[in-house]
Amino acid sequence: MSDLRLRDVRKTFPGGATAVHSVDLRFPAGELTALLGPSGCGKTTLLRIIAGLEAPSFGRIELGGEDVTDLPAHERRFGMVFQSFALFPHLSVAENVGYSLAIAGRPKPERRARAFELLDLVQLSGLGERRIGELSGGQRQRVAIARALAQEPSVFLLDEPMSALDAKLREEMQVELRLLQQRLGITTVVVTHDQREAMTMADRVVVMSDGRAEQVGSPQDIYAHPANAFVAGFIGKANFLEGTARGGAVRLAGGATLTADPPPSFREGSPVVVACRPEWLRLAAASGPNRLPAAVSFVRDVGQTREIHLDGPSGRLVVELPWAAPARPRLGETVHVEFPPEMLRVFPAEAAAAAA
Amino acid sequence: MSAPAPRDLTPAAARPRPAEAPAPARPPVATPPAAVPTPSEPGPGRLGLSRPALGLVLLALCVAPFALVLAVSLGVPEDGAAWDWGLSLQNYRRVFVGLDWPETTSRLYLARLGWSLAYAALASVVAVAFAFPLAWAIARRSRRTQTIWLVFLLASLSLSEVFVVMGWDILMSNRSGLPMLFRESGLTDALKATPIFDWLREQGLASPRDVRFKTSVPLTVLVMAYLVFPYAVILLYPALSRIDPAMMEAARTMGARPGTVMRTVVIPQVRLPLLGAVLLLFVFLLGAYVVVTQFADPARHTLTVSIYESVRGATLNAPFGAAQAVVLLVAAATALLAASGLARLAERAR
Repeated sequence: MSDLRLRDVRKTFPGGATAVHSVDLRFPAGELTALLGPSGCGKTTLLRIIAGLEAPSFGRIELGGEDVTDLPAHERRFGMVFQSFALFPHLSVAENVGYSLAIAGRPKPERRARAFELLDLVQLSGLGERRIGELSGGQRQRVAIARALAQEPSVFLLDEPMSALDAKLREEMQVELRLLQQRLGITTVVVTHDQREAMTMADRVVVMSDGRAEQVGSPQDIYAHPANAFVAGFIGKANFLEGTARGGAVRLAGGATLTADPPPSFREGSPVVVACRPEWLRLAAASGPNRLPAAVSFVRDVGQTREIHLDGPSGRLVVELPWAAPARPRLGETVHVEFPPEMLRVFPAEAAAAAA
Repeated sequence: MSAPAPRDLTPAAARPRPAEAPAPARPPVATPPAAVPTPSEPGPGRLGLSRPALGLVLLALCVAPFALVLAVSLGVPEDGAAWDWGLSLQNYRRVFVGLDWPETTSRLYLARLGWSLAYAALASVVAVAFAFPLAWAIARRSRRTQTIWLVFLLASLSLSEVFVVMGWDILMSNRSGLPMLFRESGLTDALKATPIFDWLREQGLASPRDVRFKTSVPLTVLVMAYLVFPYAVILLYPALSRIDPAMMEAARTMGARPGTVMRTVVIPQVRLPLLGAVLLLFVFLLGAYVVVTQFADPARHTLTVSIYESVRGATLNAPFGAAQAVVLLVAAATALLAASGLARLAERAR
């Protein structure tokens, strides 16, 4: 097992559109890495470059230190699951799974044995003789996974693998795919625009935007310490408050001052954005330091949490309280929202517009 | 060749209801308003025609003309071009074994049937074989490019058979066409020095002095294929454009080279459209006329040509022409049934 590395990979299409600006990434062997970003951020192009289906305009792709940049897709043979699954309708399920072995010229009994073994692995025992048209969406996805794994690829690539499934099935398959990946210990790259999916499955998440890797890290790390306002807004929910840096604290547009710990080091007077996740905020009865008054405009009770929407002098806020929280603010009531200094993230202002 | 039958492109709903179609009888008792007529109930179908009306249309357009031809084919020719209704099988006897049977047996018309089938079969296969790469290339292009190509192909269908044949006639003529080009460029002399020229002579593609493409079987087949080439592309295009490009990419990530992808992923999925295109063009080409009269050796003319001669041309024997037409139709139907039966067998064997 060896790491997959991208070194200064760039992609510009003939029309002049740049899909990938310089990207340097390491995909550690045996780990599942999610490429996460909004549509059009270049994540699928990057995956296709890794698969060999698209040639990079610049840069190198290395597998275990070996340069594979110029290796065509059929020699690279990274297993890939496509968004549409791309199963062959003219072949049976077992023949689909055994396709790569047939291309490699392996004898039929071996192909069948391996196909049935893989179908067992993805819990489709007994469906080998079916036609593709007779399968449900979830079954098709399992076949696509089994087919991509049949050649025992060194790298396993999945392009939005859950997008064709309904919400409930999607969550089940995320867990199942993660378990399968851990069992096989195969280096895996998943492209997704769904941050829950990325957080569920990935060891490491690469947040992409506009052809660049904005942040690389574990899901928890990215959630707790977003590198910029885009990441803070794209991963999970966040309240954004605009203000200016004043003496190590932030003077908000409404006039109040918030202190952050550690204090942000910005040039005095430069515009900044304070980000804080809804569940990190608390409600207090009286005013105090780092507390902003706000009126309750809407309460959304969604079971395990309660979302309090508020209007304050510094803008709209959302506070998420656990189900068991004693505070039950009523509509129109004025409360004080406490911003714990250690939970505030302060970013330069220009990136905030993109995240909103 | 018979002109392509004008197809009714009017949406079914817009077609006027034929006058003879009786309005669907409404039950005198008011039906409960909730009762929605199901498709299985008699009454206006999806086409907006009631079943009896549809039956009448079919009868008028398909069955009646055929029945008429069948009836004429049983008639007895009299002096000159006249004939009388009858129940004679002598016209069929003449088609299969000749007039003087059993004294002598003539296979002349069976041979013509054979040429009809052979030209049509060869030309439809050649047309589809050449159309496949083009249709494939078009289907991989951008929407805009595809539209331009399809419009161009459709426009080329407006060229009549006579016009196309005339063009090829000039192109292949001994004094001003390809043979002249061969001669003037010295290619003919170069060929004469090689065994290829002898081979061409054996194939009837050269005289002792010159290459000669008219009249020959290959040229007849080639021009026939050329005539239906746009149809072949247009018939294959929808199936090829429906193939998900991700399927080919998936095959590539599983180790298949581009040629292997074509063989294992693309062609198996369009096998039925390929067969369908060949069959359709085959039936269409059975009616080829001008091309055969211009490019085929008279000894290798088709049944279509002799039908024309019987009905309108030199021999003027309508019952005999009708008998040949019936035989041609039955042969075509048999060929189609056999092909679809074979396709079904092959499907089952997989």
